[in-house]
Amino acid sequence: MSTDKVPVTVLTGYLGAGKTTLLNRILSEDHGKQYAVIVNEFGEIGIDNDLIVDADEEVFEMNNGCICCTVRGDLIRIIEGLMKRRNKFDAIIIETTGLADPAPVAQTFFVDDDVAERASLDAIVTVVDAKHVLLRLEDSHEAEEQIAFADIILLNKTDLVSPQELEEVRQRIRLINNQAKMFETVNSQVPLDQVLGVGAFDLDRVLAIEPDFLGEEEHEHDDAITSISLSSDAPMNPDRFLSWVRRVTAEQGQDILRTKGIIAFPNEPKRYVVQGVHMLMTGDVQEREWAADEPRTSRLVFIGRNLDREALNAGFMSCAA
Amino acid sequence: MIGLTDRPLADQFGKRFDLGAAVSVVEWIGEQAWFACGNGVVRRLSADGTSADIAVHDGAILCAAPGPDRRALLTGGDDGRVVRVAADGTTEELGHFGRHWVDHIIASPQSGVIVAAVGKEAVVWKSGHRQPSHRYAFASTIGGIALDAKGKRLAVTGYGGATLLYASAADSARTILDWRGSHLQCTLSPDGAFLVSAMQETGLHGWKLPDKTDLAMSGYHGKTKSYSWSKRGKWLATSGHFSVVIWPFQGKNGPMGGRAVTLGASSALVTRVAFNPQIDVLAAGYADGSVNLLRLDDEAFAPVEIAGGSAISALGWRDDGAVLAWGAEDGRTGLLDMARLP
Repeated sequence: MSTDKVPVTVLTGYLGAGKTTLLNRILSEDHGKQYAVIVNEFGEIGIDNDLIVDADEEVFEMNNGCICCTVRGDLIRIIEGLMKRRNKFDAIIIETTGLADPAPVAQTFFVDDDVAERASLDAIVTVVDAKHVLLRLEDSHEAEEQIAFADIILLNKTDLVSPQELEEVRQRIRLINNQAKMFETVNSQVPLDQVLGVGAFDLDRVLAIEPDFLGEEEHEHDDAITSISLSSDAPMNPDRFLSWVRRVTAEQGQDILRTKGIIAFPNEPKRYVVQGVHMLMTGDVQEREWAADEPRTSRLVFIGRNLDREALNAGFMSCAA
Repeated sequence: MIGLTDRPLADQFGKRFDLGAAVSVVEWIGEQAWFACGNGVVRRLSADGTSADIAVHDGAILCAAPGPDRRALLTGGDDGRVVRVAADGTTEELGHFGRHWVDHIIASPQSGVIVAAVGKEAVVWKSGHRQPSHRYAFASTIGGIALDAKGKRLAVTGYGGATLLYASAADSARTILDWRGSHLQCTLSPDGAFLVSAMQETGLHGWKLPDKTDLAMSGYHGKTKSYSWSKRGKWLATSGHFSVVIWPFQGKNGPMGGRAVTLGASSALVTRVAFNPQIDVLAAGYADGSVNLLRLDDEAFAPVEIAGGSAISALGWRDDGAVLAWGAEDGRTGLLDMARLP
């Protein structure tokens, strides 16, 4: 019996975006792997299988002094139950409802020790309907949050829009989340190995933070979610950086949805990586060292609302050694 | 108890088995330890080493308890079924709840009731009934259920607190006990004067009844999943910390103003606790797979099973207190024959 942690993929996306199509592909294609799937609406999946489990999406507040800290109580119970037949599956997929905020799901893997010991977040995958997403973003916080939280975005139903419309959607998504890996698909057709088992939350496997290629963000409305990328060629003082990033995520943790950074510390041959969801952060040096020809540029990205780029940049720069 | 030794008692006085499946629960039915497992099988082991398997569930057994007559095991599975497994190995379905998991099951020899937690419902079988008699619905998924020693008072925990009911009454009045947070496994003191529930944030919350005075029992590193009352309910042993935390319940105020006793300190979390039904000796199972015997009076300590492998997930004494059974998440199990101890 394996004692390794089970990788968990979170599958989000608005109703009708193509989540179920992707899920059905994962369950029916011949890839030699068994998935336990935690679904919210069982009826949607046409496949019956004793590893498909119904969830109740019970979001619980934690009384641990962290105001935005919510977890999915049902997931804690279901994952513990699934572990009793650990040898029956290779990985877990959690499908959320179209209206779900992905934060409680992700936070469950940081906050609950029993879950964290047995399972680890692999990636948050968001399926986006190219035809309707711009409209959705107008009237739904959740649609925006699902894109903001994503490690991988399937921009789906691209056959239903013109090249011009598609470009508009691409740019809008990049404004929200400039870090997610994006695949443009029809019928959720994507090589499954690009979506599953990618290790997006594995500190050792974070390879690069994309620089801010769009430049200054144009705000659509005041509380729109944006990505703010910071970079510094000067190495960072570890104490100063860690206390600053902790303070920022503690004070603005409700607005900051995701944090991701690769940091160069002086005289440290290895890259230091931080990952966070709201106020919850993990960080460690990677096994991998900075390559000889690689510029030792520290990069940090915040994805969230009401972020003050100037203040964050000044704070980040003041951490230089 | 025997003197301190590094050699685990299981080497000399016990028997070890590998069940090849996660052990969910162990209960003694007569002379046999019944291990309810993650592969849906109940394995019955005798102290002499003979065993027999019964395939019960199509999936994992999530919970199990001896039936009211203590001659059968009641099991609940992730296949949505509640099954009665008789001593002769025959099985009988007491209920089927579709795609819902049966998370908890308890039964009382005194009142004869059986209660199972199925999603947001507590399902009751009255004494002698082979089909559900009535159900109580709750706003959130049930975190834990408990009966008092008479089997009359039923406690049900969930998000935001607990509810007390009279289990045999379909239209039972409800006593609501509010406390913020998600409440999980719970236990009623045998006299029904205290309800203790485990919090998602770790630590225990208690209510003194009937006045509903709140008690906070904190300091735990992990969630408490296992409780055991000593004879006559004088002490409550709990899991969830790097030692067994034992709360005094001798006085009418319970642990209020008193101090917990800690026994069996380890670098691994305590995962299961079980008081011997006859003497003031406690068995403790740990997250590293070890099992210890601990004595309350003089804090004597004896290793039963050494660390290595996964967490102990089940622990239980035979009714006469003469044999201890344990089981782990990786299927390692054992029986310790106390009569053979020097």
